[in-house]
Amino acid sequence: MTAIETKGLTKHYGRRMVGRVRALEDVSIEVREGEIFGFLGPNGAGKSTMIRCLLGFLHPTSGGGQVLDHDIARDSLEIRRRVGYLPGGIALYDSMTGQELLEYLGRLYGRESSRRRELCDRLEMGTNALRRPIRDYSRGMRQKMGIIQALQHDPELAILDEPSEGLDPLMQQAFYSVLDDLKKEGRTIFFSSHILPEVERVCDRVAIIREGRLVALEEIHALITRRRRHVELRYAGRPPLLDGVAGVSDIRLTDGILTCLLQGDVGPFLQALGPATITDLTIRPASLEDAFLEYYGPDGVHGGVEPPPPSRDSATPPGLAGAPALQSAPPAESASPAESAPPAEVTAARSGPDERP
Amino acid sequence: MNHVYFRRILAAQRLRLAIVMLALAAWGSLMPVIWSEFGRQFEQLMDSGLVPDQFRQMTQFGGGDITRLAGMIAIGFIHPIAVILLAVFTVGFTVASVAGERQRGTLEVLLARPISRRTLYGTLFLASLVFVGLAILALLSGTLVGAALWNLLDELQTPNLPALWLNGVLLHLAFASIALGASVTFDRLTPALAVTLAVLLMSYFFQVLGSLWPDADFLQPYSLFHYLQPQKILEGKLDPFHLVLLSTVIVAGVIYALIVFPRRDLAAPT
Repeated sequence: MTAIETKGLTKHYGRRMVGRVRALEDVSIEVREGEIFGFLGPNGAGKSTMIRCLLGFLHPTSGGGQVLDHDIARDSLEIRRRVGYLPGGIALYDSMTGQELLEYLGRLYGRESSRRRELCDRLEMGTNALRRPIRDYSRGMRQKMGIIQALQHDPELAILDEPSEGLDPLMQQAFYSVLDDLKKEGRTIFFSSHILPEVERVCDRVAIIREGRLVALEEIHALITRRRRHVELRYAGRPPLLDGVAGVSDIRLTDGILTCLLQGDVGPFLQALGPATITDLTIRPASLEDAFLEYYGPDGVHGGVEPPPPSRDSATPPGLAGAPALQSAPPAESASPAESAPPAEVTAARSGPDERP
Repeated sequence: MNHVYFRRILAAQRLRLAIVMLALAAWGSLMPVIWSEFGRQFEQLMDSGLVPDQFRQMTQFGGGDITRLAGMIAIGFIHPIAVILLAVFTVGFTVASVAGERQRGTLEVLLARPISRRTLYGTLFLASLVFVGLAILALLSGTLVGAALWNLLDELQTPNLPALWLNGVLLHLAFASIALGASVTFDRLTPALAVTLAVLLMSYFFQVLGSLWPDADFLQPYSLFHYLQPQKILEGKLDPFHLVLLSTVIVAGVIYALIVFPRRDLAAPT
């Protein structure tokens, strides 16, 4: 079952004469029911545009999609009835008290706000705080109000745009625990963020968007394990010979210290170290940040260097319904991570409407 | 209409509404007093021949007539004080209701609930109707009280007051309809306010200029204020065409908004 499905979702702003902004380009994703799905990208990448298309605030230029089996173009009202939404940088009615706001927004759903008390307790919005006018709230308190109003009616699907912005670390942990519980209860969460450790902590799968195009969609674990790990080793005598070893790249030698990047199976690397005298070895595990930077960093795919090789998973990624870039990668390439597949974005671009021959 | 949203609007505007209604009632109560105290003297002055005819034209500001009670009440309706007080709702509330909420970012919190844009608009329009209706009622009530206190009720043809209320409501609802149309068209408050004020001020200017300067009276039919005829209504000479025309403007504004608003992209607030 899918909670969200988009097919070729495209959104352009502006007019041809003035200059069009391609906010979203041919984005196809599937979000499964019951998962926490991270939608990653820096500011301006198209995350909020995607969310606003899903909720009917924006009308897609082409393509379409479904949320909870309702068409995003035709059934926006029914979608909003079943969804909880936290806008990025939420604005609230400053003249109301917290309690009044939650009651007002809850009544607009026409059903009981069954989770309000629990959420207020867990996010430490006590009675005294809720009695104060919102204009007196700090940024973190406003964000907590945003989270509570989005989840208080126990929606089947929560769409949260940068939900932990402004929360202190303790409240972030409390919020993650709320998400964990929602997931256990079978709720689906679509989560946009540019805070990578947060996405790594809470999400099951992640999509990465760059300049409006989907460049990756994978299980978090698979995305991370395919990344290159940073290796630093100290040796005595002659340095180990790592040239040509499978998965090893970017070898640098400085004053008895060798650094390199290691990808995939660690066996050939350890074998190659055999004859050398190693005094210290550090392998820093890959993080989502590494994965993300491969798509975005100056040395990344889009800097024209090495593309991220597709994994076995990514040969037929379960949620990537319409991203031929990763879908179409042949199994032979994906079986050999060291070999480079076409860059994800480049192939995605080939499938875009403007790049078709 | 969404009842929860409607009640919220009423609650948010209740203090403002009370102040505007009190001010309009006070203003309306002054018209019979002013006429009683000065109107007849003005009439005698005009008839004496001491004052040039051009000055007589000045007593007919905005289509009223300071020398007659009905005319004085008409001046009370079109006087800048009444127009400004009514503009609190016909311009201020309406323009801020969509464009203002867009600019502040609260509109998307509201529209994240299961409320269609047409329902939202319908609720705002109904709220505008209630505010304008109550405000004009307060103005007429004040006039009645003033007339009663100065023993002028016999000269005021009270059976015609409901028609005058309807005429006043239609005029100001027409401005509210234009303001709501502008409000759903723009993402920011300033252009919506500018368009609405331009229409209101041009309309006012045409009517007042035409009433004071005979050579410019051809401008008056282009003003919505021209179709507010308190003096004629109080004298029992209601022209249904005026009501039809104002109703047409309202309906056109509503149709425009109901087409444009649901089709608009609501991009993230900046």
